Amino acid sequence: MTLTIDWISFLEVFVVALIGALLVVGFYAIAVRLLVRGGKVPVVAPAEFTDAIAIISEKERAKAAKAAAKAAKKSPLTDGQKLVARVGAYISFGLCGLAVLGGLILIVIQ
Amino acid sequence: METAVLLVVLVIALSLFFDFTNGFHDTANAMATPIATGALKPKVAVLIAACLNLVGAFLSTEVSQTISHGIINNEEAINSDLFLSLIFAGLIGAITWNMLTWLLGLPSSSSHALFGGLIGAVIVGYSWTAINYGVVLSKVILPAVISPITAGVIAFLATRLAYALTRRYDGKPDGRDGFRWGQIFSSSLVALAHGTNDAQKTMGVITLTLVIAGWQSASDTEPQTWVIFACAATIALGTYVGGWRIIRTLGKGLTEIKPAQGFAAETSTAATILSSSALGFALSTTQVASGSVIGSGLGRRGSKVRWRTAGRIGVGWLLTLPASATVSGLAALIIVWLGPWGIAVDTVLAVATVLFIYLRSRRNAVTAANAMSEVADSGLAVKVKKNPPPTRRQRAIMREEARRRAAVEARERAKRKAQTKAEAQANKNSGDRSDSEAKK
Repeated sequence: MTLTIDWISFLEVFVVALIGALLVVGFYAIAVRLLVRGGKVPVVAPAEFTDAIAIISEKERAKAAKAAAKAAKKSPLTDGQKLVARVGAYISFGLCGLAVLGGLILIVIQ
Repeated sequence: METAVLLVVLVIALSLFFDFTNGFHDTANAMATPIATGALKPKVAVLIAACLNLVGAFLSTEVSQTISHGIINNEEAINSDLFLSLIFAGLIGAITWNMLTWLLGLPSSSSHALFGGLIGAVIVGYSWTAINYGVVLSKVILPAVISPITAGVIAFLATRLAYALTRRYDGKPDGRDGFRWGQIFSSSLVALAHGTNDAQKTMGVITLTLVIAGWQSASDTEPQTWVIFACAATIALGTYVGGWRIIRTLGKGLTEIKPAQGFAAETSTAATILSSSALGFALSTTQVASGSVIGSGLGRRGSKVRWRTAGRIGVGWLLTLPASATVSGLAALIIVWLGPWGIAVDTVLAVATVLFIYLRSRRNAVTAANAMSEVADSGLAVKVKKNPPPTRRQRAIMREEARRRAAVEARERAKRKAQTKAEAQANKNSGDRSDSEAKK
């Protein structure tokens, strides 16, 4: 009985998953960063405030929203620069979505 | 022939029941992190998970083919009646072990319970040589060991990347809350990935049963359409029904997972499972998701592994395969000894055990034993400091700040010194003057 183990395929899984995850996370993070730069700081409250969520309370959320508005007002960027950043953010979100779709299509085709 | 038909029906019913418990058990895998960070309302999360599990089951059938056309040697040459009852014994072992670990709150994996069960039953009831160990090793055991580590490393790097790209050095809001939106998509991807891997395992078992019973040709590797539909629907139903457990246990204290971290963890879980499914590796989705949660925890600054907790999780994983193999081996032994009566005895025993476990679990209050999920719990293996140490750039900024402050202080000190000196001089002068006036 011979055991043949295809070690290359493990490496393949690792590399493919790594590239996929880094692309998706990277584009998303860049998009968030650009949104902040464009003066639209996302303040997203938890969908439901349960005991399990110790990370942010309703009060903290309001505080964060205020701080975000203040920071956006003080931004040294011109309106044009902000617009560019915002457009960049949406493009980056789009690229993130495309990376996901591309990965899924590759799997289905296979 | 009639017993064969009865057996096939019984095995298919049992496989679907296993599929249901699998979905029931694993809702939390996909949805633990978004619920923990508040990205989704629990009810919505459960519904999304159920729908995407259904879709995922149709995406890829590679994993199903690994099971139906890989792990057993010479499928056509096998005595079908005996072998069908062995698959039956394997399923009984897997389900019993799954329910038992669920009751005891041990970390376990439905997939490994299934493989352990099948392998144990075949070895005990048939022979050592019926199993293709090469396929078992390269498509089941090695992926089991490697995939959580792979997912962990990827999650670590992805978390680092997410934090590095959004870090701000001027103390202004960093907008990391925005990852909460992203989590809606990333957790949906995990549910989809779950469908591409876990529903496939049951399809594989049913296809294997059909091939051995002679109802499907061995050269036809694809599962039949009704099998895909049945398995997809059952796992989706199980996922939906399993949701009540999550909602019930929500208040029970979870690991603190931040949105950026959760997003990175889910993305790497989905990426690892999807790419493995495409190559036909039968993974444990629970283990991959746990590996990601631990890896992403380590990706945050100032985090440390709690080795004791991590060790407990690891031992639970290693135990699953041999333990369910033993249970199934015993079930197979009863069948070998008693023949068709053995099947009846096994069925009665299994139904009794499952019923007992179910009733026990209803009686219990919510405890660690039936708490939300191993995936969320595995986050406990990482300790994250409340105030993480500064990054290199933050340290540089702090040094620069300190130097500036020191310079300002030194200047002020010098100024104060000069002032006091001047005052002292003035006092002295005025003192001299008053002395001389007194002398006069």
